[in-house]
Amino acid sequence: MSAPHACDTCPMHTEMAQLGAAVGGFDRVVALAGNPNTGKSTLFNALTGLRQHTGNWPGKTVTRAEGGFQFAGKRYKLVDLPGTYSLLSASDDEEVARNFLLFGRPDCTVVVVDASALERNLYLVLQVLEITDRVVVAVNLIDEAKRRGIEVETRSLARDLGVPAVPIVARTGENIMALLQDVANVASGDTVTQPLRSKGTPAFERAVSKLVPMIEAAAPGVPNARWIAIRLLDGDASVEEALTTGRLAELVARQQAPDARFSRKIALQGAQ
Amino acid sequence: MTEPVTTPADVIREAGALRRSLEAGFREEVVSSIYGEVERVSRRAVNDQGSRTLELDQQIDRIVTSRLFGLPLMLLILAVVFWLTIVGANVPSAMLASALFAVEDWAAAWFTSRGSPDWLTGFLWHGVFRGLAWVVSVMLPPMAIFFPLFTILEDLGYLPRVAFNLDYLFKRAGAHGKQALSMTMGFGCNAAGVIATRVIDSPRERLVAILTNNFVPCNGRFPTLIMLATVFVAAAFPPAVASFVAAGSVVAIVVLGVIFTLGVSWVLSRTILRGEASAFTLELPPYRRPGILRILYTSIIDRTLFVLWRAIQTAAPAGAVIWLLANISVGGTNLATHVSSALNPLGRAIGLDGVILLTYIIAIPANEIVVPTMLMIYMAQGMMTELESLDALRRLLVDQHGWTMLTAVNLMLFSLLHNPCATTIITIYKETLSGKWAAIGALLPLALAFGVTFLTATVARWLF
Amino acid sequence: MAIAILLSLVAFAVLLPTYGVAAQWRVYRSGLARERTENALKHLLRQATDGHSASFRSLKGELGLSDRELLSLAERLELEGLIHSDGTHLKLTTDGERLALHVLRAHRLWEVYLAEELGVPVDRVHAQAERQEHRLNPQQLDRLSAAMGHPDIDPHGDPIPGPDGVVPEAPGTVLSAWPLSTPARIVHLEDEPPLAFAQLIAEGLKLGQVVRVIERTPSRLVLSDGENEFRLAPMLAANVHVVAASSEPARALDGVLPLSDLPSGAAADIVALDPHLKGFARRRLLDLGFTPGARVRSELQPFSGDPRAYRLRGTTIALRREQSDRVLVRALQPERSR
Repeated sequence: MSAPHACDTCPMHTEMAQLGAAVGGFDRVVALAGNPNTGKSTLFNALTGLRQHTGNWPGKTVTRAEGGFQFAGKRYKLVDLPGTYSLLSASDDEEVARNFLLFGRPDCTVVVVDASALERNLYLVLQVLEITDRVVVAVNLIDEAKRRGIEVETRSLARDLGVPAVPIVARTGENIMALLQDVANVASGDTVTQPLRSKGTPAFERAVSKLVPMIEAAAPGVPNARWIAIRLLDGDASVEEALTTGRLAELVARQQAPDARFSRKIALQGAQ
Repeated sequence: MTEPVTTPADVIREAGALRRSLEAGFREEVVSSIYGEVERVSRRAVNDQGSRTLELDQQIDRIVTSRLFGLPLMLLILAVVFWLTIVGANVPSAMLASALFAVEDWAAAWFTSRGSPDWLTGFLWHGVFRGLAWVVSVMLPPMAIFFPLFTILEDLGYLPRVAFNLDYLFKRAGAHGKQALSMTMGFGCNAAGVIATRVIDSPRERLVAILTNNFVPCNGRFPTLIMLATVFVAAAFPPAVASFVAAGSVVAIVVLGVIFTLGVSWVLSRTILRGEASAFTLELPPYRRPGILRILYTSIIDRTLFVLWRAIQTAAPAGAVIWLLANISVGGTNLATHVSSALNPLGRAIGLDGVILLTYIIAIPANEIVVPTMLMIYMAQGMMTELESLDALRRLLVDQHGWTMLTAVNLMLFSLLHNPCATTIITIYKETLSGKWAAIGALLPLALAFGVTFLTATVARWLF
Repeated sequence: MAIAILLSLVAFAVLLPTYGVAAQWRVYRSGLARERTENALKHLLRQATDGHSASFRSLKGELGLSDRELLSLAERLELEGLIHSDGTHLKLTTDGERLALHVLRAHRLWEVYLAEELGVPVDRVHAQAERQEHRLNPQQLDRLSAAMGHPDIDPHGDPIPGPDGVVPEAPGTVLSAWPLSTPARIVHLEDEPPLAFAQLIAEGLKLGQVVRVIERTPSRLVLSDGENEFRLAPMLAANVHVVAASSEPARALDGVLPLSDLPSGAAADIVALDPHLKGFARRRLLDLGFTPGARVRSELQPFSGDPRAYRLRGTTIALRREQSDRVLVRALQPERSR
């Protein structure tokens, strides 16, 4: 329901507080996704007051960091996912990010994108939109993009993607409040999104629509059966495993653990 | 008609059948359709006029990665960083040392005046405190200079260019180019370097990177290297060039570490971790202006003080161990002397001595305490010296303990190559879930350290 | 006293469950027994596929066992209902065949894993898979297969049985029977015996290569791929299977070149990814946006000339030659490339 909300969430009354690594008692969970090197960790640090390692090279964030902040009277848990280009290749970091989005069921996912390389970054955004509706796109580094002569029309972007898009500069904190307002609205359900879903070939869509009811019958209550169908068609090991062992619940629980990674023991043995 | 129950196995079987019925390029279809959508959306949202900045970035990249300048520039940057560290740390180090040793004298006198027993005064102030004073004055200034400089390079975006420049060598060694990234993290801490190998997707190459990360000296070992370079190597040259020689020898040690990394990777790739170099993709991000305040904050608070605290935490119990070793006597001689003279033949064979080996055993928990531990053992052997300056330190080691240039060089080599600290070994175990790889990660460098120092010692004795 | 302690320590070391010497020995023995069983079944399966019938003699030759060991093995297999024999000939039962197919699947999947995901040279994968095939259970195989996108063929071109034990039809004609000068694509290089396979690899033959038979005599067969000539003994040629090359490789198309050959500073449009680029490497390139139609420009070359960096979709990406060789592009005219 997207009713016009009361003024207790108006920007004038909003106050934001960093909660650091405080655990427990959170009202909402927000995930931070994005390509490597888009300033995700910088935004994470700005919001939580924590000091995750930042640096200008891909792959700094290899584990999942968690922290908290308070906004407009609600306590948010913020989960910084590893930076990935995609959610399809099933490397370690991608699996961590994807499993959290799928089974950790965040109330809102902020996808941080680099304004200077929007094309590359949107590839991940579209994949995230396949998994969850509750997305806000944070167009970061707009100052840097401007220096490069690049301007991003966030309004056109939001219209095309069907989710809010906010231009920010995470380093200086510019426009962070506007971003949080959108996050709050999406997380609470006040903003209803209509995410863009790309369509495959007719044969592909036929295959998907055949699988979806089967998945729903085999695993009732599964989140996003369409996405699972696509992953099964692509032959995704971890999704197959989660389905056969009926351990979707366990996977969900695993997402609450601080450092969710699948063991790589088998793979490493293979290297002998 | 009753509806048959659908099981997960049915779903997967059906998915398999459907997958085979689809075109072979299923993944291409999916990716292309997403990118098609992406292009449409971004064309509408992006207004790109092009600008000087992008071209400037490309110009810089062309120089930084060029055939002619790429490698020399890298070495030059490394040398400048170390030179600034060494030169800049000299004066504050001396000031800290004299201040802290003044505190020691004052406190010891105060203790004695209040009637504290001699052994307590000796243990607390001339033992533990003196060790800590050395840690602080030898380690703090270099780290407070080195880490901010290094963080600037990191924030600037230079590290991926290093990985790009060096990838060819890593490929020849059968390793992954991103190993260069995990190595640069190893400059901070080898345990962090081992975790950073997660950026490498191929398990074989990731193991290679894990097992060789130890060959970049971590910040626990840099003080040892810088001290040796300054006090011994540079002291043999006229003062005018001393700082350049010191910086040059630290660079040489780091380059040697890289050579060992490549060599060991090459051997591993042809023996227990056989295989070809796999796919390598690396994004070269745009250069970014580093935030100076944030850098000062993170590098001084997070890195410098963290390392210092860790050193102090481990140095104090080590001080206690040393005190016990020095004060428990068996058959008229104290334990420290027993152990170090037992280790002495082995130590001599590799150009070091028994005390140094004993130090490295005590320092397994953390490399930061090597220098203070060593000094404490030397001093515990009844040769207390006031160490008010670096020169006094050299006199202690050279005159009283028979150090030579060979000792200094071999200690630098040993420090570079020897087994990783306990934290790193545990991290290797956690990352590989294998006791075997953790053991190899610990023993392989140790064997190499003994082998190499034995070789240099033998050659040096034969030559001189 | 000391001796008593020593003895009890030794006894402890031997008898300790799981970690003790005795327990380890039992594990080793049962592993050995499993390996023998599975190798025997594999042999029977291969003989059956090749249309021969297996006998005690052929089994003995394959496994290198003494008569006594062989007899006890056969007895055990029959008792477990895996084989039945009529005195001389040995045949697999349904259960035996299922187990043999599992081992075959394990072997071939592991070969794919080694070759494509770990980059182990193709001539070495067989020996390693020969050991590993006995250590994997069906669940692990399902995961392995899924993780690699369910490959159909192993690195030598042999079909991989499905989880249901159905072996896909092996396509292709044996090279010795292929007509002269008709283009043929190699779809299978037999990996048994290893020596013959090593010779094929040494000759430079690869899966997917397009060749023509240009000369056939009783003593030899000469192939050409347009650049090089390959001489094979007829026995070796019998280990190569080919199909008709439907079309010339994309590389031969007009104006198409590998990305690695694109001069520095030049721009191009991506035409396709080489089909030989497989596994994780292919998925990664696709995710980075190396898709047909994308505009790419060759940007940087380090002192060594490899890797090179390319400008694509607003970012600079470095690729090694092995990968940029596999991206086929069509160069743009200089005035059209910005």
